[in-house]
Formats: sequence, C-alpha cells, structure tokens
Amino acid sequence: MTDTQAIRDLANKHLWMPIRSWTDMGERGEPIVIDRADGIRVVDTDGHEWIDVNGGYSSVSAGYGHIEIAEAMRDQMKQLSYWPEGTTTPPLAQLVRKLAELAPGDLERVWPVSGGSEANETALKIARGYHRRHGDVGRYKVISLKGTYHGGTGVTMWLGRPAGITLEDYEPEYPGLVYAPLPNSYRCERGGENASDCAVRCIKALEDIILFQGPDTIVAIIAETVCSSLGAAVPGDEYWPMLRQICDKYGILLIDDEVVCGFGRTGKMFGVEHWDVVPDIMTVAKGLSSSYLPVGATITSGDVADAFVGEGNAFKQALTYGGHPVSAVVALKNIEIIETRGMVENSAKMGEYFLGQLQELKEKHSIVGDVRGLGLLMGIELVADRETKERFPDSLRIGERLVEKFRSHGLLLRTMGTIIQLGPPLLITQNDVDEIVRGLDAAIGEIETEL
Amino acid sequence: MHNRDWAQMAEEGGPPVIVQGKGIRVKDSEGKEWIDVNGGYTSVNVGYGREEIADAAYEQAVKTTFAPVGTTTEPAVRLAAKLAELAPGSLNRSFLVSGGSEANETAIKIARAYHKRRGEAGRFKVISRRGSYHGMTGGVVFAGGGPANPRSDFEPVYPGMLYAPQPNPYRCEMGGTTPSECAVRCAQAVEDLIKFHGPNTVAAFIAEPIAIPQGAPVPGDEYWPMIRDICDRYGVLLIMDEVVCGFGRTGKMFGSNHWDIVPDMMTVAKGIISSYLPVAATIVKDQIADSFAAKGSVFSHVFTNAGHPVTAAAALKNIEIIESENLVQNAAATGAYLKEQLVALKPDHALVGDVRGIGLFVAMEFVSDHKAKTGFKPEDRMAARLTEKLRNHGLLLNSRGDILHLGPPLCITRDDVDQIVYAIDLSLWELEGELGIARKP
Repeated sequence: MTDTQAIRDLANKHLWMPIRSWTDMGERGEPIVIDRADGIRVVDTDGHEWIDVNGGYSSVSAGYGHIEIAEAMRDQMKQLSYWPEGTTTPPLAQLVRKLAELAPGDLERVWPVSGGSEANETALKIARGYHRRHGDVGRYKVISLKGTYHGGTGVTMWLGRPAGITLEDYEPEYPGLVYAPLPNSYRCERGGENASDCAVRCIKALEDIILFQGPDTIVAIIAETVCSSLGAAVPGDEYWPMLRQICDKYGILLIDDEVVCGFGRTGKMFGVEHWDVVPDIMTVAKGLSSSYLPVGATITSGDVADAFVGEGNAFKQALTYGGHPVSAVVALKNIEIIETRGMVENSAKMGEYFLGQLQELKEKHSIVGDVRGLGLLMGIELVADRETKERFPDSLRIGERLVEKFRSHGLLLRTMGTIIQLGPPLLITQNDVDEIVRGLDAAIGEIETEL
Repeated sequence: MHNRDWAQMAEEGGPPVIVQGKGIRVKDSEGKEWIDVNGGYTSVNVGYGREEIADAAYEQAVKTTFAPVGTTTEPAVRLAAKLAELAPGSLNRSFLVSGGSEANETAIKIARAYHKRRGEAGRFKVISRRGSYHGMTGGVVFAGGGPANPRSDFEPVYPGMLYAPQPNPYRCEMGGTTPSECAVRCAQAVEDLIKFHGPNTVAAFIAEPIAIPQGAPVPGDEYWPMIRDICDRYGVLLIMDEVVCGFGRTGKMFGSNHWDIVPDMMTVAKGIISSYLPVAATIVKDQIADSFAAKGSVFSHVFTNAGHPVTAAAALKNIEIIESENLVQNAAATGAYLKEQLVALKPDHALVGDVRGIGLFVAMEFVSDHKAKTGFKPEDRMAARLTEKLRNHGLLLNSRGDILHLGPPLCITRDDVDQIVYAIDLSLWELEGELGIARKP
C-alpha cells in the first residue's frame, strides 16, 4: 500500500506542477496521485475512481491502458533506445511515411519533435526560412487568432494571447506578432449574427489587417481549425476555405495547428478535413501518441520542403529528442489502434450524441449560455444572463467551484474560467456519455442553486 | 533530419539505418557494427541496451501513462525529489518538461516572472555567451549563438538578448593568454555588460558550465566563482544549463560541482534519462520557487507532457544505474585517459591545433596554421571528409566544422578508448596524406 500522504508531501515540497499552487494543494490534501488507469477511467492511490473527462489535456485520444503500446515501447527501448547523430532508424522512417499518408493533399515532409510547442516553433521557423529562400526577406510577421493557444515556449506562448495565461509575466513580447479576430460564433468580435456571418466578417477583418500591415511583411497565419482553449469554438463553414484563398492571394503560408484537433478528435482524422482545405504546414502532437509518450510533428507540403534542398539550404535545427525511435514506435501503435478500432468514426458518432445531451442540459439550466463542439471536442459556456451573454464575475470563482463539484460526482474535469472544456478519449461509449452528463447536470444544478 | 539536406543524402546512398544498440556500439540494417563515439547527441550516458530502463518504463506504462489535468503520479514526484537530492544547495523544486529547449525556456520565463513578483518588472534582459547553445525554440534559439548555429533564418531576434564573451582559453576573445587571464577578463566583461545596460534591466545570465558548440572549452577556475559573485551583486539570476554537462558527463554529477557553484536555476535533459525517452527539468532554488507558491501568484505555464509518468520512471532507473555503477567516477577516470591519449596524438598530426575537455566531454580542434590558429574553409569540406574516414574505421563521429566532439557513453572502458583513438589516428593520417601535410612518423 502506498503512503499517499508521504507522496503528497514530497510533491508539495519538490514538484512544480503546471498552474497549481503547492501551498493551496497542501491545505486541501492534494494533489491527487494517480495510480492506474483504463479506458476513460483513472484510480488514485487511495482507491478513488474517476472519469477523466478531458482525457489528460484532451490528449489521451485512444484511452488509457493499451498494453500493446506499452509492449511496443519496451521492445523498442531494449532493441534501440536512441540513434547516433547523422543516422536514422526504421520506426522513424515508418512513422514519417504514415503521417505523409494520413495528412491531406501534398503534406508529405515531416520534422518530428516532442510536443506541440516544439512543433509550432518549428513551423514558424520553417515558414521564415521558406520566405527567405524565396528572396522575401521582408516577411517576418505572424498572424494568430485572438484567444487561441499554441504553446508555452519563447514565441508560441504569445500567439493568440490566450485568456487564462498571465503573459505580462513574460514581457517583452516577441516582435512582429499580429492578432486577428477569432471566428467564435457565440461571441463574434465583428458582430456576426450567426456562424456564417461571423466567419465572413472575421475573414474580412483578417484581410484588412493584412493590407494594413502590408502583405509582403507577413510570413504566416497560424490557426486551430476549432479553437480548443475557448471551449471548441467551431467556425462557420466559410472560414477555412476563405482563409486558404486569402493566404494564396497574399503569398502567406497557412499553418494549421492540429495539436488538439488531429487524430480523430473532431470526428475526422484532421479538423481541416471538415472543410477540404490543405494547409501549407500542419502541426500535430497529443493524439499522435495519445500522450503515451511526448511526441509531436511538423508536416509540410512538398513545395515548402523543397526550399530547403540544395547546398547551404538545409534547415538548421536539431532537437535531441526529435525523431526518437521509441516515440515513433509508440505513435505508430497508437495510430494503428485509432484506425483499427474505428475511433475516428466513434468520435463523430459519440460527439453528436454528446452534444445532443448537452443541448438538453442547456434547456434545463439557465446559466448554460452555449453548448458547442465538433466530434469529441466540446465546450459549455456558463453565463450570468443568457440574453446579454454577461459573464459571471471572477470573484465568484465559478470555474474552481465547479471543478470541486465535478469531483464529488466522480469527474475530473477542466474549466477555463466559466468555460467547461470537454475532450474525452475517443473510445467513449453512450453509457459513459450518459454517466458524464448526469454528473455535469448535478454539478451545474448545485452551482445554480448556490447562486 | 537534423541539419541535413535529403537530396544530398540520397545521392550519397542515404543515411545509415540503425537497428540495434548495446553499450557504446550500434548495428545498422546491413549488419555492420559501429562505435557511437558521441553517444547520440552526447546524451546516451548509461549506454545503449539497458533492459532495466525499458522494464521500468513498461511497468509504469501498464499502470498509467498519463495523469489528468491538475493531478500527478508517484514517479513524477519521486523524480522531482531525487533531483532535489542530487542538485547542490537549495535547488529543490523541479518543473518537469520534455527536452532541453523547453527546460531553458521555462527557466527564462521563471526568471522574468520572478522579478515581476518582486516588483522589478523592468528586469527582462537575458545575457548569454557567444559560442554557447541553449536550444532551438523561439526564445532560447537566440541565446548564445555563433557560426556553428546559424540562425539568420529565424530573425528577428528576441528582444532584450545580450551577449557576453566565451571564456575559451584557446581562442580568448578578450585576449587572455592563459585560462586564468581569459576567465578573469571574460567574467569582468559580464559585469561591464550589466553596468552598461543597467543592472535593474537584467533578468538572468544563462550559460553552460562548459560550452557545447566550441568543443568543451573548460574555463579557467576563476570564471565561475566570479560570475556567481557578479550575479549576486547585481540581483541577476544565474541559470546553469547542465543539459550536456549534467549526470556525470564531466566527471562530477553536475558541471557546476567543479567550482562549487550553486546556480539559482539549473536545467537538465539528455543524461537525466540517457535519451531513452524525452524528459528534462528546470530545477529551481526554494527562495525563487517560493514566490510562486501562493494561489494568486502561480506560474502560468503549461506543457501537456510536463511530469509524464513513464518518462519519470525511466529517468529514475537511469539515475539509479549512473549511481550504482559509479559511472560518474568512470567518466572522470576514463575521461582523463581519453584526453591523455588524444593529447599524445598531437605531436604526430599537423591538423590538430588543440585537445581539451574534462571527464568524458572532450574535443579536438583542427587548424591549417598552428600559430595563427586559422581554421579551414567550407569549400575544403574538411568535416565531411574526416567524418567519412572515421566511418571507414568503424566510428560514427561527426566532425562539426573544425571541431571533433567526443562525448561517449559513461560506461566506456580503456579498451574502447584505445580502439577509438587508434581509428582517429588512422583517419587523421589519411586526411593529412591527402592534404599533403602529413608529418614524418
């Protein structure tokens, strides 16, 4: 039997957990220490079972407990755990071929990394290097969409300036970052009345920004197909096709951040497939390995990659863990599980069912302002007033209180202020959905009563 | 692939495809065996083929491979506790990440946020040293730098990056003629830089104990104590990048141990897990971490894979091997032997300008003119030609420009060293013969 309190004490003394206060955890008898997991459920060292509604960070796509992934990892670690500089390994060769096969259009060249931040940093660097090789040295600015999250490293942390991250801690901002409106149909910055109207207006705003900044100063636009941090803001159908046209019109590279949306999360293999658009660069992580190990990748079109061929043109980047054979084996096995078990299809089907159930919750609870999503990437936004969409004041600590209530109903769930983010493993069943919705229903009801 | 042109590789018959590894040796798909002299990227510290690391990772993976948001797992906690035990002074709290770049980005973010919490929001500049390397992501790619790591593709530079001289005794930028003199002048230059830019604008000084790209230029003993003192005097945080030097590479557990220095933050990767899986950490002094302890002042920083349980379990097993097999001591002893053997080659070879290093972090620098210490021109393709010859003699060892970096696994034996040095000797004779500069044996 593990002495949980001893581990908690050690954690609060030595471990720096993301976005947690160790004094606060100490007072509450936290952190929860997870001992084992299977499917969508985890069990802590005290024997409590929970549903991990978010599947890690919307990342454990294939679900917990696939022993075959653990076996593939162990076997590769015994066979070859790393590789000498300037050489390669069979698992990596197989993974890059698989990614080229899965990715849409002519996305065919893969730069493997260990996470989404590295993937997006790599994409930006490739975009800059590409324009320089085409003589466009004046291009250095990057446009991102307000409220989106793209990573925690030097440049990516600024992109989108996501809510909930106190960026003023890290000033000064990297130069040349430009922000455009996010096509968030529920709260359209440009006053769009519906999803389509919002999408078209946001594109118009984007074009105005490009013209104002000067098209030949802009390297790339980076966007998530469905914005995950704001609770699955699904753009109107016009947005992505028009975004592709705008980028082509002004010679700007389109970087599609599929770190969350990729590998079935939205009910298609990649989010961008909902709109039949092919970006110039696509970044993936999370679902690529279902977080069994840290893996990510930057996938570029042949045209982009070709700029880096020839004497003196190589892309000058090395990351020690980029292209790791063990990571590659784990990613391959994970993709195989997602494909052979029909998880992308299940994501579409269960996502539709889940959203239907959330709609019922909305009818029942007046504090639910909006429910939205695509596939198994969903969000619930709570409001003080449905008509005006007025938010609850921060002082009410709605998000934090909800997290506690969810726990008392057996759910580990993430909130971003008054937005509840939902991204369960893709193997979820109808019964699981019903169980989760019952917990959500009860917890939201309790908050409503307290208010 | 890293820094490579795939069209050119295809012309050369493609890169070797490695299928198996054991100790310091790997085997390719055609059955040929090689010594991986640099142990991956100076990173496979315990050597290849350690089945117990694979088993430890597997056992954890069978239990759980991840933890929900806001929770943790026992291996992550134990790894953080182990790092606190190993790291000097009050370096007691670890933010676990997936690579050296992330670890250094995290350190810089902590430094800026720390000063803001103390009401010194004006401190944002970061000093690094020319000729150092700290990673490839957006912020750290602009720390350090030099011809070995061109980054013109990635401009514009991050704001507030300042550059100090590298205390490289072989090529002292400040004109020092001995390691000591070079060390003192280079440390003094850091103080001058801080004063010139205004001490209350500088957040941190980041450096490796011994720089990587320039091939293990060990600074004179005065350097680190002086730097520690200067940082203290001006309230600048000292971030020690132990990504390469950490976990025994230099013959001590950490490079900082050679000079009894306790930095304010220490970043580790590579040797923490001998590259078996991607893991790294930013280890922070209590006094700094404590300013983020309260609920209202948490560090606003997330990576999906921060504190990954499988990588933590593997790292713990790796550290156990380093300790139980006394690999740190072996790095010191066998490293000294390796350097001695390489120094012995020097009189025979016109190409060898300098041999330097400490522990199993050793390098050779090639020159066309010993007096002027002139290097070779890119069109001479020296590096590629030498790399090819070393391969013919069974060594996977890439000459990077004029510098040959040797960072073998710490389990290397004297016999292994003899085999490596013999192959280097032969390769140099062949190349010198082609260049018409071979000395008479």
